[in-house]
Amino acid sequence: MQLVDRLGGELPRGPVTVELDDIQATVLRYRPEPYYGTHVLLHVEDAQAGREFVRRLTPYVDSAADWWQAGDAWTAMAVSHTGLVALGVPEDSLQSFPEAFRVGMAARADQLRDYGPNDPTTWEAPFGTGEIHIAVSVFSDSEAKWRRAMETARQQYQGFSGVTVLLMQDFGAQPGDLNPLGYRDSIGQPAIEGCGVDSLPGQGRPIKAGEFILGYPGEAGVPLPMPRPDVLGRNGTFVGLRKYQSRVGTFNRFLREHAGTEQERALLAAKLVGRWRSGAPLTLAPTHDDPALGADPSRNNDFTYADDPHGRQVPLGSHMRRMNPRDTTMAQLADVNVHRIIRRSTTYGAPYDPNATSAQDDDVPRGIYFLFLSAKAMATMEFLQQEWINNGNFMNLGDERDPNVGLQEDGATFTIPREPVRRRIHGIQTFNVLRGGEYFFMPSLAALRWIGDLHPASGQH
Amino acid sequence: MTTRAETATAPEPDQTVEKKIQQLRELYADAPELGRVALENGLSDLKRELAAATRTESAGRVGARQGRVSEFTLIFPFANGGAERLHGLLQLLEGNFQLADQVGTVHDMRFVFLDNDTKLLFATAYDGEWDPYIDDFATKIPNALDLLLCNCEGFPGIRSPQVKDWLAGHQIAAESWYVGSPNLTVAETRRLERIGHAVDEFLDKVGD
Repeated sequence: MQLVDRLGGELPRGPVTVELDDIQATVLRYRPEPYYGTHVLLHVEDAQAGREFVRRLTPYVDSAADWWQAGDAWTAMAVSHTGLVALGVPEDSLQSFPEAFRVGMAARADQLRDYGPNDPTTWEAPFGTGEIHIAVSVFSDSEAKWRRAMETARQQYQGFSGVTVLLMQDFGAQPGDLNPLGYRDSIGQPAIEGCGVDSLPGQGRPIKAGEFILGYPGEAGVPLPMPRPDVLGRNGTFVGLRKYQSRVGTFNRFLREHAGTEQERALLAAKLVGRWRSGAPLTLAPTHDDPALGADPSRNNDFTYADDPHGRQVPLGSHMRRMNPRDTTMAQLADVNVHRIIRRSTTYGAPYDPNATSAQDDDVPRGIYFLFLSAKAMATMEFLQQEWINNGNFMNLGDERDPNVGLQEDGATFTIPREPVRRRIHGIQTFNVLRGGEYFFMPSLAALRWIGDLHPASGQH
Repeated sequence: MTTRAETATAPEPDQTVEKKIQQLRELYADAPELGRVALENGLSDLKRELAAATRTESAGRVGARQGRVSEFTLIFPFANGGAERLHGLLQLLEGNFQLADQVGTVHDMRFVFLDNDTKLLFATAYDGEWDPYIDDFATKIPNALDLLLCNCEGFPGIRSPQVKDWLAGHQIAAESWYVGSPNLTVAETRRLERIGHAVDEFLDKVGD
């Protein structure tokens, strides 16, 4: 379903000041409902063949034009640093990319706090090997359209020597679009200035486009550094991919250990995230789930924390409040608007099973290919991992960490503010384990054509 | 905060300590007699310190950290007239840095004028790492930082994408770094102060 229809046909329109027809669709189109899709990770063995593949697929890569009413399946293409090298992008261009992008996500494990079970040395192949060059993703709101778009993409690389598929992962199509821990997810997205749609209820003021799309002023009033030449950088953005395995057995055992009844378990699960499983926020539904509220995009994000400064509804340490503190008074000076990311989270594998409690259940393939987009995606993810996920200082929570994607140490706690005294749960576990990750550059359509047309001999355009 | 670099503080075997003592004796062989005597007389205390593994880690790009607290030491050449302006500004502020309160991670700051007012030594203790928050400073408190730092030669402006490199270029890692309460951030200290007052108030009432 299109965004405009999900909002009941009522969409607050705003001016368009960015080049929507050059920006890739994934940057602005919300994940469809329901959603189906596939991520394909490819390796380029031969630069000329790689460029030919880019040339052939580019006409099928969708733009963000009319993104709010686009209903068709769409195809996206993004390239890693080693991919740009493999495609023969000139050295001075390569050097103009940010360092964290050039060395790749695995090499930034220290900055990302990817230690212990999240350490890149434990990742699944091909993640962290440098072999992932190109990512192609198809998103759709129907199975038939998804299959058609996949077939089109397949025709571009099938029987093509010099480009090989390393990994193919279908995603979505979960009952009720729930994620592997049983929640409706990807609800709150940032409003972006100049993209044609004004703020949706609860989004806050639109954030400067330059925070999310290269070539436009950001929140500080100046454009962020952009890869050279302009045709390559402008209207592009960066994408981080993190593959999580959800430890559903551990998660369910945690809920059972700390909550006696099904109702209490549902509340505890809601306190961890800040929303009930239906998506209804605890600010608007503090004591009981409200599935109608959760399913209504015009209401399910429409709140502030003005009446909940101490977190008695939405705990200060809950996932939702950490990732977007909105108007929370924080212990450290921070500007929420410079740390937002566009999220296109995609669930894969077996659906959530509330009765799964064994250690084996932790290993059933099921989890999230988490995609985040921003003009400074690497810096933002490092900030989030260091400051707002694997740290509690900014919310006066000492060493407490994000209950959803944080890496929990032995004896870690989670605090639920209550009247008259808070409840502190001991022994929270790591519920989502990192199994791989990669940084990509998502070029504009013009930049994809530029890459496809690079001259083979000199490596120059 | 756990990092890969962190090591347990298990005592090292005597052998290693003996080696370190040996190294120190060699280093101090040409020291004034006062120093050589102090080394021998202070050996028992020194042995305990040498036996404990280091608690110092890196604070990101440059600088050292113990527990949650990092050091940030910079030397800037003054811009033309910068020393006079900064001197005047600091005098008029009389030590009131409400913005540092607002930043919430700054334990202390010192501004020292060096070499006949040609250079500024800026030294601070702060929580975590400094560069993740530069973007926040650029949008939340740009005027305060530009007002201070425009007095330093070559300052590109807090909003400039080059500002992190410029700062790191003037940073000097401390040779050594000690923190009395390495686990207490400014936020945690303020929280404990509030709790302490509340407990006292409660005990006063109960004790009446």
